[in-house]
Order: sequence, then C-alpha cells, then structure tokens
Amino acid sequence: MKKKRKILGFKQYIIIFLCIITLNFFIPRLMPGDPFTFLSAEEGQDHTAFSSEDIERHKKYYGLDQPLWQQYISYVRNLLKGDLGYSIHYKEEVLTLVLSRIAWTLSLVIASVLLSAAIGVFLGTISAYYRNSSLDKILYSGLITLSEVPSFIIALVMLFYFAAHLKLFPLSGGMSHFVDFSSRWEMIKDILLHAFLPLMALTITRIGEFYLLARNSMISILDKAYIKTARGKGLKRRRILFYHALRNAIPPIVTRIFLSFGGALGGAVLVENVFNYPGVGRLMRQGVFFRDYPLIQGIFVVMTLFVLVMNYTADAIYKKLDPRVS
Amino acid sequence: MKKVSNLIKAFSFLGKASVMVMMLFFILAIIPSLLTSHSPYIPSGGALTPPSTLHWMGTDDLGIDLWAQICHGARSSLIVGFGTAFLAAGGGSLIGILGGYYGGKLDGCLMRSIDLMMVVPELPTMIVLGAFFGPSKMNIIIVLSLFSWTRPARIVRSKILSIKEEKYVKVAEGYGGGFSYLARRHFLPQVFPLIMVNFIKLISRAIVAEASLSFLGLGDPTSKSWGLILNHAMSFRGIYFTDFWKWWIIFPLLCIVLMVLAISLISKEIENLLC
Repeated sequence: MKKKRKILGFKQYIIIFLCIITLNFFIPRLMPGDPFTFLSAEEGQDHTAFSSEDIERHKKYYGLDQPLWQQYISYVRNLLKGDLGYSIHYKEEVLTLVLSRIAWTLSLVIASVLLSAAIGVFLGTISAYYRNSSLDKILYSGLITLSEVPSFIIALVMLFYFAAHLKLFPLSGGMSHFVDFSSRWEMIKDILLHAFLPLMALTITRIGEFYLLARNSMISILDKAYIKTARGKGLKRRRILFYHALRNAIPPIVTRIFLSFGGALGGAVLVENVFNYPGVGRLMRQGVFFRDYPLIQGIFVVMTLFVLVMNYTADAIYKKLDPRVS
Repeated sequence: MKKVSNLIKAFSFLGKASVMVMMLFFILAIIPSLLTSHSPYIPSGGALTPPSTLHWMGTDDLGIDLWAQICHGARSSLIVGFGTAFLAAGGGSLIGILGGYYGGKLDGCLMRSIDLMMVVPELPTMIVLGAFFGPSKMNIIIVLSLFSWTRPARIVRSKILSIKEEKYVKVAEGYGGGFSYLARRHFLPQVFPLIMVNFIKLISRAIVAEASLSFLGLGDPTSKSWGLILNHAMSFRGIYFTDFWKWWIIFPLLCIVLMVLAISLISKEIENLLC
C-alpha cells in the first residue's frame, strides 16, 4: 500500500488555514456556560459575581453583544494583525509569550529532523547496498521497531538512564541558570548539553521513516544501468553510493524532511515536557494545567501555521525537483 | 473463530509471543479485581514503598498500589484503543465505500476533507479539543477517531474504485443489485482484510495517543491509565534525585512499550499473511 500524497496549491492551504481559524473561533463559543463564569469561576476559587450592568458593560467591551459574524470578522482581523489574545495565567500577550519561547522549540524540531534524515539516509544507503545480508536485516528490524515507540517514552528512558542514573547530562531546562559564563563558547556548550537528550529522543523515533524511504529508493536505483557503468569504470564504492546513486534518491527525501516537521512538532511538545525544556510545548502544557484557554489557542494557531508553511514548501520543492508533477 | 486460530498458527515465533503478551494484557483488563486485592484509588500501604511481596510493584506517593493501577490502566488503554479503532475503521470504511461507489461531488467533498486532515498537525489539535471538551474517555475516543478515519477511508476507496469496474459487479448491477446488496456481498468481503490490518494499526496509534494526552494531563482523571501514572510521577518534585522512579516510572513505561511493540508485530504478521 503506497502512500500517495496529493500536491496541494497555495489556495488550498489558505482554505485549510481558514478552516482551522474558524474551528478555533467556534470551540470556545460551543462550550457550555457563559464567558463570565468561564473566566472567573474556577473550582476552588472565589466566585466573583457580576451584576447585570457589569455583564452588559463587559459584553460590550469584548464585543460579545454583536452578532456572531461580526465577532468572527473582528477575530480574523485581530489575528491577521498578530493579536492572539491575552493569557489569563501569565497576564501577558500570547504572541509575546510564544515568540519568547518558540526559538527553543523550532531549533529542537529542525535539528532533530535534519539529524534523523542524515542518519536515516546514511543507514538506508548502506542497508540497500548490503541487501539481504545480516547487517541489513538487523538494521531493518531494529529501526522499524524503534520507530514504533513514541518519542516521549524514549525521552523518559533517556532522562532516567543517562541523566538521573549515570549523571552524564543535565536533568532539565534549556540552560543553567544563575551561572556566569566565562565566554560565549561556554554558554553555547551549556545549551547544547541541555539540548542533547531531547534532541536524541526526537531523532531516534524519526530515523526509521527516513531509513525506509532511502532504502527503498536506493534499492531500485542500484539496479539501474548507470550504476553498472559507474562500477564498470572502476569507481570506488563510496563514490558510487554517495555520489552517483544518492543524488537520484534525494528529491523524495527532501520533501519528506519538510513533511516531517508536523510530526516532529507533536513529538517536541511531549519531549519538552519530559525535560522541562523551555519551549512552546511546555508553555502549552502550562496552559492546559492552568486552564489558560487563550494561550492554548494561540499556540495552536502558531503551530498550525508553521506546519502548513512547511507542507506548502514541501509541495513547492517537490514540483521544482520533479518536473513531471504539474 | 477457526480462521483466527489458523491465522495465529501461521504466525512466526515473535508473532505468537506478541499474541501471548496481548492476551495477558486482556486478562489484566478484564479481571483486574481478581489479580490484585488492592484498590487503584485508595491508599493501601505506606507512601513510596519499593516493590515487595505485599505490593508487587511498590506504591506511589499516596501509598496507592501500582500493580492495581497498572491492571486498571490496561483496561482504559484497551478501551480507548479498541473504541477508537472500531469508530475510525468503521466510519472510515463506510465513507470510503460511499465515496468510491458514488463518486462525483460526494467523493470530491470527502477527498478534500481527507486532504485537510492530512496536513493539520495532530497532537496540537488534539490538545486544543481535549482541553476544551474536557477529559473523559468518550471525548478522547471521539477526538482520536476524528484524526484516524482518513487512512482506512482512503485505502477502502481506492480498492472500491478498482472493484467497481470488475465484470461481476457490473453484472450484479445489471440484475438490479442496489448499493446495500453490493456493499454486503461484494465490497465488504474484499475490503475486510485491508480493514483488519488497518484496524490493528489504529489500535496502537490510539493507545500511544491516549498515553501522550494523559501524560500531558489531558487524560480522564477518574480512571487510571498508564500515561496518567507517568504524568503523576513526573510532577512529583525532584523524582530524579530519588530512587522512586525505579518502580514508579519503569513499570508503566514497560507496559506501554510492550503493548505497542506487540500490536505492531501482530499487524506486520497479519499484513504478510493476508495481503
């Protein structure tokens, strides 16, 4: 069963984004209850009672007395201006909160996808060359099994084995606090040391995907005539594999890299919470914990936007690399 | 039933072992109260005691027996896994059959929505829906199904598109066979093995997703689940500096890994034998 992906146009992505925004707009309005009890009455807290004039005033202030379509239009307009709302718990603009954290998450996601692609393609190439040998079989079953295990489970294992038991790595956080770094290099080293385990946890689960892709396309490429020619010319094995053959396997791998960002982002949300990594995923869980709905929704919009942009890029690159797709 | 046992007989050693593991989990899920005398909700011993003869897997910070929690957790994992798989595989294949058979506008509509679901990031959306609609088992199943129906639908649809052109279907249509007759007699029997393989994959996906959501604190708080135990343990302050993780984290972790691997091995075996 081959997975076929449809290439979508720019217009379709806009439609998808609008669908997401609409969903985001309607979810809080579909919830049972009133916005006023929703904002003020949490379990175990004092209930602030509003008089009916107060409620009228607040409704007017938040634009809730207007018809639904006007609320929707102003919601979209605010969103386009970059106004994602106001966090209840942190008492700050959601956008500023997200922007202050997003670099941690993005660097983790991008680095892990690139790293897993590199490792996966390398192992896949070797596996394809030594097809049906015991090395191939071990790599195949091992990597496929590893890719079944969710990344946060691997993260937990790594956290407790490498950080807590062997004490090789820091336990949590993005960098050491209250430390004066003697040089910029020291600081970078500290950040990398903190990022290592989360990065590995995210990378390991994705290797299998790239491995399979590279192995399959390399197996068909290695049977082609030009590989025989290259071999006949007496070229070195390494040059044949990584120069002549891999070059033709690259297009699907590049598109897969961009398509992987969505899944990797989901993994990062979980892994960040294992390591208390200061990224957006951690922020999202804080939002869930404190029932900070505007924050959750804001992060959701930003994440969706990122994934959609990556998918669009994947499609664009695929069209460019493979002229048969129009 | 006989078919199933024949199928299992054809499995390799690893496949048979996975079936055994799954059966054990089923036993845990069906009769948890017979396997343990402790309650999964009420403290039954000292807090954070290591594994002993009284408490097989030790206790958590409230003194609640972990083995009891694991048994009850197996139940919620399996309920969510099978519930989601039934809903998603059933709904998905119905949609696929309808779309493939009728074609036209209906099909176009369904395909568009599948395209949409394919690009939307799964976990963030599930978090938003889970956070707003409240963490109950039913909601989790519905949210997970919402994200799982696309694959069976697409697979079934492409199969139907090819079956539809077969001569015997044309003949049946010529004799006046309606949609429900065709679906029952010709489509479902052929689509069934495909759905079966997909069904098992859906179970493991759903179990992983449920564990992830509970780990993030979006699980059903009224019932025990493995993700919830992990969530609880991880929010215990400074758990890394103690030895408590050696039972509190490792046992639920092992259960999740074992179950996911067993299911994936079974689905591989079935895929090799049926397709």
